[in-house]
Amino acid sequence: MRSPSSLKQEFLKRWMRGLQRCTSSKKDMNVLERKKVIKLSADLAIASARNGTTSWSRALIANASRDNDNRILAERILGPESDILIKRVSTSVGTVSCNRKIRSKKILKRSCNSVRRVRKGTHLPQKVLAKSIAKRLVQKRTQILKRLVPGGEFMDELSLIEETLDYIAYLRAQVDVMRCIASATELINHMNIGGNKMV
Amino acid sequence: MNRALPEMLHCLSGPGNGTDITVLERQRTRVKWQHQEQQNYFGVFLEPSQAGQVGNFQDLVGDGRCGSVLRHVVTHSVKPDPGLENGWPELGRYELPDLGFGSAVLMNGSAAGFEMNSTITRTSSCPHTEAQVAPEAKGKVSEPAEKMSSTVGRESYKKRKADKVQNTKVVAEDDAKDKRSKVCAEEGESKITTEQTRTKNTTTHPNNRETSADTSRENSKASEVQKPDYIHVRARRGQATDSHSLAERVRREKISERMKYLQDLVPGCNKVTGKAGMLDEIINYVQSLQRQVEFLSMKLATVNPRLDFNIEDLFAKEIFPACSANFPTIGSSSEMTNPAYLQINPAQQMVACCGLEMGVNTPDLMALRRTISAPVSLPETYFDASCFTQLQPPSTWDADLQNLFNLDSNQGRSISFPSQPFTGSIEASNLKMET
Repeated sequence: MRSPSSLKQEFLKRWMRGLQRCTSSKKDMNVLERKKVIKLSADLAIASARNGTTSWSRALIANASRDNDNRILAERILGPESDILIKRVSTSVGTVSCNRKIRSKKILKRSCNSVRRVRKGTHLPQKVLAKSIAKRLVQKRTQILKRLVPGGEFMDELSLIEETLDYIAYLRAQVDVMRCIASATELINHMNIGGNKMV
Repeated sequence: MNRALPEMLHCLSGPGNGTDITVLERQRTRVKWQHQEQQNYFGVFLEPSQAGQVGNFQDLVGDGRCGSVLRHVVTHSVKPDPGLENGWPELGRYELPDLGFGSAVLMNGSAAGFEMNSTITRTSSCPHTEAQVAPEAKGKVSEPAEKMSSTVGRESYKKRKADKVQNTKVVAEDDAKDKRSKVCAEEGESKITTEQTRTKNTTTHPNNRETSADTSRENSKASEVQKPDYIHVRARRGQATDSHSLAERVRREKISERMKYLQDLVPGCNKVTGKAGMLDEIINYVQSLQRQVEFLSMKLATVNPRLDFNIEDLFAKEIFPACSANFPTIGSSSEMTNPAYLQINPAQQMVACCGLEMGVNTPDLMALRRTISAPVSLPETYFDASCFTQLQPPSTWDADLQNLFNLDSNQGRSISFPSQPFTGSIEASNLKMET
């Protein structure tokens, strides 16, 4: 696994860069806009750090570029390499999603059949019943997880778990860095306020 | 040592059940006599009918010395129990590589593991020629071999089921795999696998012909490519052995392995067992992390009216050391990082002290960006100009940040550091800077 500290480093670097690129243009933004920008730049920072190796990063970038208003922002944030990155992401995501759509339809059909089969069986032994309940639970939770992890809807279980691992590592890095900067900025502000008062 | 093996093998005469011995057995044999020179517990040997195969084998064998030994081995191969699969054609067909024992042992790469046949081949191959190589490899093998002795029973079960496995692609012991991997790591591989393929191709056993051929092909593939395409799995006792269920089992094992990683990553997952519970924990964790990100980005948006995060300022104020009070490396790292940023705005003179100024940001940002993109070492003169006496020239941006953000151990720690310790220093530095 990549080392967390280098991940944070990389994330911070890219995030700051993206923010700078973004803020240089706009003058005034309200809180929500700023929050969006911050979050977006953070997402894109880490996603570009992964360079399209992981599925969730690709999905993040793809989602960002899909929205028209976000797209311009995203492109600006990503900077000069945005075109290449977005192209790469869109091609990979596009082909994959086509396959996945087909695959997901098949899976849907299969699951419907299996559900029908299960219902037909009248009295299943306790063990089988428990097993099926457990299976359904797991399936439900997997569905939820798929919704949480960006780009996870079409993955099979194994890759879903890998992506989740990566995504969790990224989220942790993001939270730590953001927390650090937030507290530091707060501190500075307090100091400034204090300093002003003193002066 | 060389002589001991044939003797031992002779002692082990038993009813030729079968035709094949598993790699595992062969390896055990080898290890046994290697280290203990005592009777091993293997029971079965090759049938005399195999002699013909041995002849073939001998042709393949380049080394005459090895050939004799191998022939012995082949004829007296042992199995822990009689029911052993006839599906191991490789038996006679080992090519004796002059090479190291180690390669035989394995693993065609990572997950797949090894061909038992190859290992046996290796183990049984010229002990004397590979005496130098063998010892360390054998040493490794011996440990597993001893382990193996304890697990003989289990293995025998597995072997018994091996007959059923004939239809499947490959067979391998998981634990043996581990051992093999140990040895393999030392030795590398390939030569044996290629030889193995040859030997396999000459096998005359009908039963596992396909499997052995497949495996041999796989081995040769593996020998060229480090990672094999096939995963070799052995059916366990009492489990279905058709390829579907085996593949299913492999998949399940992979998933459980990944879940173990997730358990380490997600706090509080240790208490829960079972997929559903762990998935629940994972979902909660991911959701909470996402919510935290939202909250923090909102906080940053409010705290920072104009979205200019002057990292240099932040660093300069030794804020990070404060907030990294929980972090292992504090003071020096901050000092190291600070200069990197101080360089950026000599003119600004720590405008940072006064907070995040808006207007002057652009040049700073550019400078910051430059700095960020290219790690630089700060000029010494600037260090003097700055009030940080204890500066040391930072090596690179990366190293500094790494120190700074060595947050590995700090997950979940609150950043509510006490303000007193650093405010004092910060104010002091402010004063110095302003003067």
